[in-house]
Amino acid sequence: TMLRRMTRLLSGARQLDPGRFLHRGSPAPQSLDAHLDDQRPRAVSCTSEDDPVKTFNEACLMVRKPALELLHYLKNTNFAHPAVRYVLYGEKGTGKTLSLCHVVHFCAKQDWLILHIPDAHLWVKNCRGLLQSSYNKQRFDQPVEASIWLKNFKTANERFLSQIKVQEKYVWNKRESTEKGSPLGAVVEQGLTRVRNATDAVGIVLKELKNQSCLGAFHLLVAVDGVNALWGRTSLKREDKSLIAPEELALVCSLRKMVRNDWHGGAIVLTLSQTGSLFKPRKAYLPQELLGKEGFDALDPFIPILVSNYNPKEFESCIQYYLENKWLQHEKAHTEEGKKELLFLSDANPGQLERLCAYL
Amino acid sequence: MAAPAVKAAGGWPILALSLRSGVRRLPGLTQVRWSRYGPEYKDPRIDKEYYRKPLAELTEEEKYEQELRKTQLIKAAPAAKTSSVFEDPVISKFTNMMMKGGNKVLARSLMMQTLEAVKRKQFEKYHAASAEEQATIERNPYVIFHQALQNCEPVIGLVPILRGGHFYQVPVPLADRRRRFLAMKWMIKECREKKHRRMLMPEKLSHELLEAFHNQGPVIKKKHDMHKMAEANRALAHYRWW
Repeated sequence: TMLRRMTRLLSGARQLDPGRFLHRGSPAPQSLDAHLDDQRPRAVSCTSEDDPVKTFNEACLMVRKPALELLHYLKNTNFAHPAVRYVLYGEKGTGKTLSLCHVVHFCAKQDWLILHIPDAHLWVKNCRGLLQSSYNKQRFDQPVEASIWLKNFKTANERFLSQIKVQEKYVWNKRESTEKGSPLGAVVEQGLTRVRNATDAVGIVLKELKNQSCLGAFHLLVAVDGVNALWGRTSLKREDKSLIAPEELALVCSLRKMVRNDWHGGAIVLTLSQTGSLFKPRKAYLPQELLGKEGFDALDPFIPILVSNYNPKEFESCIQYYLENKWLQHEKAHTEEGKKELLFLSDANPGQLERLCAYL
Repeated sequence: MAAPAVKAAGGWPILALSLRSGVRRLPGLTQVRWSRYGPEYKDPRIDKEYYRKPLAELTEEEKYEQELRKTQLIKAAPAAKTSSVFEDPVISKFTNMMMKGGNKVLARSLMMQTLEAVKRKQFEKYHAASAEEQATIERNPYVIFHQALQNCEPVIGLVPILRGGHFYQVPVPLADRRRRFLAMKWMIKECREKKHRRMLMPEKLSHELLEAFHNQGPVIKKKHDMHKMAEANRALAHYRWW
């Protein structure tokens, strides 16, 4: 049986303290399909709606089967075993990113430490400032992307930054260094103030979290959207116009190490995405096609979870949500004819339905 | 079909019977914009409700018409006209007028983005307003669009009439379709010319539509200017002979 719960986030942003979320849990019976909502969380670049909080004064999620499955697995994780990798895959616009956000929100409420990369494709294309890494001469640094990520990480996990202590001494340059035993917040601050060292700060944060999650003080959730960017090709070039492979980017290297399952005490949830990917055909959605041989071998073994289009019930409830919020303003949208037409035009694809209802 | 344009040309014979549209065929004139359909072709009826009525409900005329249409020749329906419930002839006309170079895809997407932008702006205002004001704020983009274009339609227009070697701007009552056309034309022209280089068309159009909805803005001003000119030239009204 499917348990459908309503989650209304009145504050809208997941980055705020999880304790502030209003959780209205009331299991609805199987036949009722009216209590499902749609969320578009703020910092995610996937959906077309700019800011749901501005339009609806709230941000809601539709609870769907893939997300429920994942939550079930996460609730029963054995933290002594190595971290299990879950890969959400599906066609374009079916709701992979939002399922990921649902899982992240759940874990945030359960007080896990969230390591969320909203879109890995942003790290392998259109980067302006590429510096040669001081730590490893062959690699390249990305100060802009690293500092953005550090800022988001800081707002998401404020509480943990003072609790977790660094286990080694790190020397940034001649004058600055972080002592052993100082809180992780100091490393993050250093990365934010000295933008040149931001990438190294990110690498250090990831390494420390990986080592310390085995100790059991906290549960670690690694959530990466568009993970196929880590093993594809980049569109970045050096000064002499030669292409850079993803291995030569420091951020990508540290993230790859994170996604390997040689640590325990948490879980890894990944999403494949064709929308931002480089040099991949539009119709590709299977893990083998999007990850390539290298990525598939690196991620093997993993648990694949297919995210598909809406059922008739989910579709109906989506339309009901729009009608309740008066988003569907057209007079004919209430009628049976209108609904049948929307179903036909969108083929129950969530993304397409959203784009259709935007102007109706 | 509207009267096709007829151009004076030297002795080009009128081609096969099916090519003419049955309007003025003067010797020495040939048709420039014509349709390939002869006069026996009827216009298609794109209306789901009409065809779904059971036989009992049909009146005598409708039954006769349906029987007739079974054997008549009917023109092909244009690709832009659908039997969708969400179709609006005014929106289609506006989209066609916005289209440049036959790029209907772009024109349609701009139109949809405009409607979305109008909707979002109204939603924002709705949430920011108090309870009494919320009842007055209109959130339906289609209602706003239609009302704005209605507000922009001029009542009286000017037509250049040649008298004694000079053209005089004579005030003249306009037909419905001319008024609608002028409103749409002014709106599009205003949005194309008077916007910042980096501003996109949907944003500007949504802004102009909302202003016109409230009877403010440059397009309404243009309508008032037209009315004032007509009022100023009212002495010339006698030059009109129709």
